Amino acid sequence: MRRFPTVIAIFLSLMVVAGSASAQGTLRIGMTASDVPYTGGQTDNGFEGFRFVGYQVYEPLIAWDLTRGDRLPPLVPGLAESWAVSKDQPTKWVFKLRRDVKFHDGSPFNADAVVFSFESIKKKDAPHFDAYGSGQVSFRLASLKAIRKIDDYTVEFETDKPTSFVPYQVVYMVVVSPTQWQKFKDWRKFAEQPSGTGPFKVTRLVPRERLELEANKSYWDPKRRPKVDKLTLFPMPELTTRLAALRSGQVDWIEVPPPDAIPQLKAAGFQIALNSYPHNWTHTLRLDKEPWNNKLVRKAANYAIDRVGICKNLLNDTCIPSTGIAYKGHPWFGDPKETYTYDPAKAKALLKQAGFGDGKHPAKAAHLISTSGSGQMLPLAMNELIQKNLRDVGLDVDLQPVEWNTLLTRWRAGFKTPDNEGLNAWNISWNFLEPWSGFGRFFHSKSVVPVAVNTMPYINPEADKLIEEAERTFDLKKQDAVLAKLHEIIVDDAPWIFVAHDLNPRALSPKVKGFVQPQSWFVDLTSVSVTR
Amino acid sequence: MWAFVARRFLLAVPTLLGASVIVFAMVHLAPGDPIAAVMPADASRAEIEAVKRAYGFDAPLPVQYVRWLGRVAQGDLGRSIATRRPVIDDVRDALENSLVLAVASSVLSFGLGFALGLVAAFRQGKAVDKLASAIAIVGVSVPHYWAGIILIIVFSVQLNWLPAMGAAIDGGVVDYLRHMALPTVALALIPLGVITRVVRSAALDILAQDFVLALRAKGLVSRTVFAHVVKNAAPQILTVVGLQFGFQLGGSVLVEAVFSWPGTGYLLNLAIFQRDIPVLQGVILVLATFFVLLNLAVDVVQSVVDPRIVRH
Amino acid sequence: MAINVAPADVQLVVGAPMGYWRTVAWRLRRDPTTIGAGLVLLAIVLSAVLAPVLAPHDPTAGSIRLRLAPIGAPDHPLGTDEQGRDMLSRLLYGGRMTLLAGLTPVLVAFVLGTVMGIAAGYAGGFPNTLIMRTMDIFYAFPSVLLAIAISGSLGPGLWNTLISLSVVFVPRVVRVAESATVQVKSLEFVAAARASGSGVWPIMRHHLLPNVLGPVLVFSSTQVSLSIILAAGLSFLGLGVTPPAAEWGLMLNTLRGSIYVNAWVPALPGVAIFLTSMAFNLLSDGLRDAMEVRV
Repeated sequence: MRRFPTVIAIFLSLMVVAGSASAQGTLRIGMTASDVPYTGGQTDNGFEGFRFVGYQVYEPLIAWDLTRGDRLPPLVPGLAESWAVSKDQPTKWVFKLRRDVKFHDGSPFNADAVVFSFESIKKKDAPHFDAYGSGQVSFRLASLKAIRKIDDYTVEFETDKPTSFVPYQVVYMVVVSPTQWQKFKDWRKFAEQPSGTGPFKVTRLVPRERLELEANKSYWDPKRRPKVDKLTLFPMPELTTRLAALRSGQVDWIEVPPPDAIPQLKAAGFQIALNSYPHNWTHTLRLDKEPWNNKLVRKAANYAIDRVGICKNLLNDTCIPSTGIAYKGHPWFGDPKETYTYDPAKAKALLKQAGFGDGKHPAKAAHLISTSGSGQMLPLAMNELIQKNLRDVGLDVDLQPVEWNTLLTRWRAGFKTPDNEGLNAWNISWNFLEPWSGFGRFFHSKSVVPVAVNTMPYINPEADKLIEEAERTFDLKKQDAVLAKLHEIIVDDAPWIFVAHDLNPRALSPKVKGFVQPQSWFVDLTSVSVTR
Repeated sequence: MWAFVARRFLLAVPTLLGASVIVFAMVHLAPGDPIAAVMPADASRAEIEAVKRAYGFDAPLPVQYVRWLGRVAQGDLGRSIATRRPVIDDVRDALENSLVLAVASSVLSFGLGFALGLVAAFRQGKAVDKLASAIAIVGVSVPHYWAGIILIIVFSVQLNWLPAMGAAIDGGVVDYLRHMALPTVALALIPLGVITRVVRSAALDILAQDFVLALRAKGLVSRTVFAHVVKNAAPQILTVVGLQFGFQLGGSVLVEAVFSWPGTGYLLNLAIFQRDIPVLQGVILVLATFFVLLNLAVDVVQSVVDPRIVRH
Repeated sequence: MAINVAPADVQLVVGAPMGYWRTVAWRLRRDPTTIGAGLVLLAIVLSAVLAPVLAPHDPTAGSIRLRLAPIGAPDHPLGTDEQGRDMLSRLLYGGRMTLLAGLTPVLVAFVLGTVMGIAAGYAGGFPNTLIMRTMDIFYAFPSVLLAIAISGSLGPGLWNTLISLSVVFVPRVVRVAESATVQVKSLEFVAAARASGSGVWPIMRHHLLPNVLGPVLVFSSTQVSLSIILAAGLSFLGLGVTPPAAEWGLMLNTLRGSIYVNAWVPALPGVAIFLTSMAFNLLSDGLRDAMEVRV
């Protein structure tokens, strides 16, 4: 009888444990990242980091409207209510900040926080400089040179030259809480107890295993307070692991399910979400070394790829073939001369023309690829097929797989480091959300590493002129026309091997309701609910 | 006997030192510049050199080794390049998970192996013996990572009884056990085979001794014979047991890869693809130290159990 | 790893060399299991060697449209893999890679290990301590861990795999060889030979080598199975042979994602590894029994 209380206690604790396993309103997501993205603000792991951590825990001054799936997301006010370029000084932009917004730690959001966040990225000698975070995001803010606080709710950004791209860069800088940082004066400690203004706040970080978040019930926009109580993120870089976790009910949502399993998943009642988004999967070529320094060889490679085979047969229609940066139908596509159909004969002819076809002069290259990652789709399987396609026409490519975040780090350092000296290309998926990400950071001569990420390097005065014109054009329709012209030049120049546009496949449990898949890399999790 | 123990203990020290040299050298064999991974893209030459100096990478290798060893002796395994967290934390968490798997797998394989081996020896030549020997040889020959995949196909995909991946994330003891079931079985196969064969072989040798044959011929109580066999087979089996436990702990990489079990093997695998040198060094060194100490313990226990052991 | 070596257990049957080997052969002939294993092994090795003749298709050629065809598909009796390549052909060619990666390190270990072991055993004293303690250091690492650590550092590729596996197996063979040498050295007829002024080389050749070779041979044969499993395991992890080469471990890895579509084609490479490994184990068991070596 004396054991009775113990028995009750054990029984109760088992129930609590069992109960918590299926807590109502908990969304559990399996990501392709191999570790929890950096929670200190300017996050890592590419856009998957932004998607699940950067834009959930924190917010930028300008945000994307991710609530609809039928159009490309426009920019809308985030932590800034309005912004405008100064009429008499076109290199100065004034942002009016939102009032009555609090950080998760209770401190108020104001201009000081914005200045603090900017300096943590750009001001190397500041005590609050975040070397790691800065490395992740600084190149996305390439035009923003300085910031000035005008009053508690107004800041002014200064650019190096007049550019219409400013909002497209500001969107990548999230605001962190200076008050919370001052408690630790250390970014690593801050990352363990972070504080932003976003709809979710971090409750527990278990490195390499999970990130637990809860809804921010006092989020400033009542329309976007999360419907779920809790959000848990799991790094699951292994394809089959993610699938198994979804099927066994350990998670409710996985990124990039194995395309082969999609028919089965559908039959078992799972939801498969697909939508086009500004994504392209490419091999970004090194243009100052053989073999890719020869335009004919680059074109040959593009004609050698069986894109339909990849999308239809290997990936079960979860992507569409890509023959350029944008896809046909996008306002930037224009009318390029090269159509890059699957034409191995033409590829061989081009190679011969370039002097590589006689067997005496082999075309060899080493390409760095990843094993998984945000937007990388199924890198190993796709690359094996591409390697075969290229070998069939006489191009010998050696693949070197590394982990995703490692690939990003090496890419940002450029080809000319000792580590990367022997490489000829990176296999990284790019976004073209806005003109800077799509073109500016890659194709302008001033964007060469380390200023931005023109690693190839692509130097073309024509392209420079068009990019600068686009920057000066504040009218969106006119800007689109300029960029379409630029697109045509680039497609015909073939600085990349264009392969596919992903359709962003996700698999969700039937219990997940209310999710709208936008035409974007990012998602709005606040409308999602999980039924019992 | 104590002299023997003391000698083995002393021998462990240079062994560990030698192992540490190998770990250090091995990782520095790796091509590539560890610093490049840490620096932001726009770091200048001067900044890179300064960081190199701060990490001590500018010193000659032997000096770096001594400094590294000094830090290791104080329990500082450095910081992971990928996560900037102390390596010791990651290694400790991973080691816990691997130990759970290794212990469970050992209990299964040693228990079953011992039983099968003895049964086979005592019933030598009969059907039971043939069955046990067949099981043993299958166990020893099977690639355990493949066995893991087959187990997943049968129990997870086709029958949907057991989960296919990871340590249990939420949920209690039962859920954790369910997650552990398949990896444990996969990891236990090879040791099961080895132990069964060694036990059978050792037991047969002892049973073949003349006076044992005499005892059995006289029909004496098999419990005495049994106890005698066990006691005399123990030293031989003990060595193997120690080695097999080491195999299950250090060699769990392949099983952990198949099941995404977050142990030291999984960590090692990830660190290799991230070229995260401090983590690589930390994991290998910790596992090697474990193994050396394990062997030491086995030797000591053996000398206690059978003082006649003479090692040269 | 299959059977552990405790040096004190190595016992020798020393007798007139001719009669001994004939006895061994006689024993082997009457052992059906061992003969069976030997034949299976012969078949596997022959099929690997004759792969270019036997394979119906080019192992690296495939049409993506025919991927993951099941066993028994027309023109592809064992199905196709995830890139549409013929499984039968890839298994045949894969056997070459796996056998090469598995057997070579053991061969290297056999040669190097015997030499180093006999040298250490015969020399005694300081050289012995030096060599044996160095080997002990490598023993500090569980075999799988050592292989992965070295491969992880050197990078993927066939050569690096051969190097790392050789490093794993040499110390083990050295131990067996040294132990055997020490035992033989202490035997009277060796002492007599030395006393009568025989040179080092003749002693080694006539007395040490034949008597040490037996246990070393048996031991090496028990290690082949592990070597094959490890070599395939390294490729499985992405550290061994690289795509698009056919190798059983690598095939297991790339087919892993397909078990939800077609469960049994992905299992085939593992069956191949298993059969080969089992055949080697049975053969080495038979050899050990026939040679009456307890190793």
